[in-house]
Amino acid sequence: MRLSAAALFLGISFSAQAQDALISGPGSTLTENKCKICHELEHIRRAQLSPGEWADNLRNMKERGAPMTEAEMEVIQRYLSTYYNREKPAPAPSPDTLASGGGDPVQKLLGAHACAGCHAVDSRVVGPSFKEVAAKYAGDASAPQRLASKIRSGGSGVWGSVPMPANPQIPASDLKLVVDWVLAQK
Amino acid sequence: MENDNRLDASRRNFLAGMAGAGALAAVGDVVAQAPAAPPGTLSSEQVKADKAKAMQWHSERPLTGSVPAHEHDFDVTPNDRMYVRNNLLTPVVDINTHRLTVKGLVDKELSFSVFDLPKNFRTVTLQGMLECAGSGRSAYQPKASGTPWLETGGMGCPKWGGVRLRDVLQAAGLKPGAAHVAGQGGDPGMVPTAAPVIRSIPMSKAMEENTLIAWAMNDSPLPWIHGYPLRLVVPGWVGSASTKWLHTISVLDAPFKGTYMDSSYRVPRHPVQPGTKMPPDAVSTEAWPIKSMITFPAPNARYKGGQPITVRGRAWVGEGAVDRVEISTDEGKTWQPANLDRRGDKYAWRTFTYEYRPQRPGYVTFLARAWDDRGNAQPAVPYWNPLGYFWNGWHRVGVLVEA
Repeated sequence: MRLSAAALFLGISFSAQAQDALISGPGSTLTENKCKICHELEHIRRAQLSPGEWADNLRNMKERGAPMTEAEMEVIQRYLSTYYNREKPAPAPSPDTLASGGGDPVQKLLGAHACAGCHAVDSRVVGPSFKEVAAKYAGDASAPQRLASKIRSGGSGVWGSVPMPANPQIPASDLKLVVDWVLAQK
Repeated sequence: MENDNRLDASRRNFLAGMAGAGALAAVGDVVAQAPAAPPGTLSSEQVKADKAKAMQWHSERPLTGSVPAHEHDFDVTPNDRMYVRNNLLTPVVDINTHRLTVKGLVDKELSFSVFDLPKNFRTVTLQGMLECAGSGRSAYQPKASGTPWLETGGMGCPKWGGVRLRDVLQAAGLKPGAAHVAGQGGDPGMVPTAAPVIRSIPMSKAMEENTLIAWAMNDSPLPWIHGYPLRLVVPGWVGSASTKWLHTISVLDAPFKGTYMDSSYRVPRHPVQPGTKMPPDAVSTEAWPIKSMITFPAPNARYKGGQPITVRGRAWVGEGAVDRVEISTDEGKTWQPANLDRRGDKYAWRTFTYEYRPQRPGYVTFLARAWDDRGNAQPAVPYWNPLGYFWNGWHRVGVLVEA
């Protein structure tokens, strides 16, 4: 039961999250973003289910508390029944034409980096709305820097007990675009 | 059996150390990529640190793990080999402020501190089997969704110390119509919308003398991951009935209604075509069917020709008794009786042994099949079910006999 801080430090530092992704296709980004909140995506990759079982499974996840709207569930159901269906082989990867945002570069980033799984513009999903974030930083000259560092390193305790995961992989240019956009939500 | 398991609060020192280490870890860049454990919960690394090297981790989020059959060769499962499975996160609960409330269809609502329980009720220690409903799931074809438990693993048989649930319910007094008992634990989800994990058991099982409110596991305080400071132990039944971090016991007039009763932990009443969805006629999982596994030798162990081989294993059943265990070395054509040690607590697994003298060099395969006292035998392959529960097919171990 006893453990030194050093051993714990090492233990954690080797467990950096592995890349966790699904086959790219219409709906793959939304599916990744929603399912990853609570569990690793290996649960999906290893289970090739029938469309009926996927429908039951999604209903079950919704009951357990997964933050998904009915419309989102329909997209996810269609995606899983196409790419992880034991009754027919998965089609070749294709662009996620249903990724939120279409041509809007910011919306694209919010989807690609999984922000949209937990945040919306004016309502709480898991984390605070973007408007709440903007209001919190209003009038703070160092806001862009502080928000950028928050997105990069993650954190917890400001908006509730669910931690914001770290996002060390976001390129600096993308990060700036997202920060400026979030702070402009009024 | 009387017992004075002491409730140990020394964990808090350890926890204080953890908090310091966590703060240190948060500064590193690589470190920051690991999913953070929300405040008041244990990280996967903290859980793993208390577990045996032999543990195999089947899923990181949520954390699930077990040891394979040949690492289960113990009459009593040690704490560090007990399987790990949560639906939600692992809370860190303060034993000094924790309360257990008994409410619902009772004459008077009761509330206890952990320390009140041994003062007010007879304490008991008994060995009892717990097994995740999905234990063995990966052996099903086609695959079912959920934790990919190995064909063996996802179970264990430690000694539990606590008080009888029956005694606590009787102290509260059951009102007419009291039919089910639901346990609720303090495990939080990743999202605020997460449904609490609540399961209920019928009154007959709640009043059974082996059903406990436990605070001890193998004579030490419950490890955090196994429910510290209090849990239900509903031996022989699917593990989810044994609510961890127990804070509320509700007496109900019917099975609890909720996702963990109505959508999860269900099996079709009658066999269904493999790969189809759950039929409307399904029932909640309760007692495990008859099951056994070979815990010695390890798969592909090597023996010198002429050297006798002692096969050893464990057999158990959720309700009733293990009647006999048989071994086959010819793929199930013929079966020979194993020696079965029938002694032990009602819901503890039983140890069996079988002496085998190889006739010639080569590969020898042992199959184990147990029977219960109601005439049920383990099937070669159990009925498929959509959520992959209750795998109890024959366990197989092969060894090499060298010339």
